[in-house]
Amino acid sequence: MGRITDYYHAVSLEDAFAKAKQLGSAAAYVGGGVELVLRRNPEVTTLIDLSRCGLDYVAAVGEGIEIGSQTTLTTISHSADIGHYAGGSLAWWAGHIAHNNLRDMITVGGAIGRNQPWNDVVPHLVALGAQVRLFDDAERIMPLAAYIEAKQSGVIIKNVLLPTDNAGSRGFLWRFTRTQQDISTLHFSALVRFEGNIITAANLVFAGRPGHAALYPRLSEVLIGKPLSHETFARLAEVAYDLVEVGTDFRATGEYRRELVRAAVVYLEEHMTGVAQ
Amino acid sequence: MNISMTVNMVKRSFDVQPDEVLLDVLRCEGYLEVKGSCRTGDCGACTVLLDGRPVASCLTLAAKADGHAVTTVRGIGDQAHPHALQDAFVRNGAIQCGYCVPGAITSAKALLDENPDPTEEEVRLAMDSNYCRCSGYEQQVEAVLDAAAHLRKGDAK
Repeated sequence: MGRITDYYHAVSLEDAFAKAKQLGSAAAYVGGGVELVLRRNPEVTTLIDLSRCGLDYVAAVGEGIEIGSQTTLTTISHSADIGHYAGGSLAWWAGHIAHNNLRDMITVGGAIGRNQPWNDVVPHLVALGAQVRLFDDAERIMPLAAYIEAKQSGVIIKNVLLPTDNAGSRGFLWRFTRTQQDISTLHFSALVRFEGNIITAANLVFAGRPGHAALYPRLSEVLIGKPLSHETFARLAEVAYDLVEVGTDFRATGEYRRELVRAAVVYLEEHMTGVAQ
Repeated sequence: MNISMTVNMVKRSFDVQPDEVLLDVLRCEGYLEVKGSCRTGDCGACTVLLDGRPVASCLTLAAKADGHAVTTVRGIGDQAHPHALQDAFVRNGAIQCGYCVPGAITSAKALLDENPDPTEEEVRLAMDSNYCRCSGYEQQVEAVLDAAAHLRKGDAK
């Protein structure tokens, strides 16, 4: 195990980025710090703390709701703005995943930055169409899904944006676990928009297998333009069963996880239609 | 590195290693009421309040607490001046081996500071981070509801 020899309290994003650039792979940013303590990277000798950079906030802005990267799950769960967003799914889950102590420590930026396969927050943010604002001497914004694919080290996650366009849609997250605090065997998250009885947009994300949160646009195509009916979701379950990559046999057999994909879609149907199957 | 924290209302300075966790710093400095157990943030025995919010001190880097206020169970109340929660834990038989109790009371304190009239479900959710291997959960929930009632009536501190 490596030894941390320096802890640096950055006073601004510019300050933090300059320090990280100077040290390269020997430096890591600190979010809540939970993962840094539990799973130490032997390469890292300097921790750069961002807690004095003004990134702990939730704010309604023109483009949507901005969540500073140092904001904890507890703060997210208490936010009235997030409680009204997409049916309140993010606020509810932020107040129920992991447990009370950890919800007060885990930050949204830390969760995204570490992006462990078992992470509960990232799949739902991807489904909600979240964007991330990054800082590497200049600011830029990109979809969270794209950031996960093209992650660059050294870049600071400044905030997460929940876009206004999705505020009226309905969010959904399902985790298959033995207990609330257990690591999920499978995550399924969705954002569904409908007008009357017709589905007009859908983001579907599977995660929690070996691998990371991934959007499935081909599954969205199964839903868009179709009515909110049992037949629609039954068709989705069939396609998802064949399409979703369930990875290896790590923690559960691939076949078992594939069956969970089907179960996940049943829960989505119940959530969206209000009819138990 | 040198950090300063206000521990149980007393401002103090500590010389810590950059990767040292708060649990170890507190215990080395004599705050033995903070209990270590799982060291993976699962059990809640090491819970302290950081600026009034419950955290697992076994996963909190001490350096991250620099400039902040830490409250241990002894800062909530002691034998001479017990807090309503501590009285209620005794009254309701919510103490068996006692090892988890400092963490449990600390989590409950954070809840009652924010929500003086919690429902049973809210108590259970707020204390979902505190394992009791003697399995005395029912009595702990009853004790927190009892303490909340006493505090609301104003007949306890």
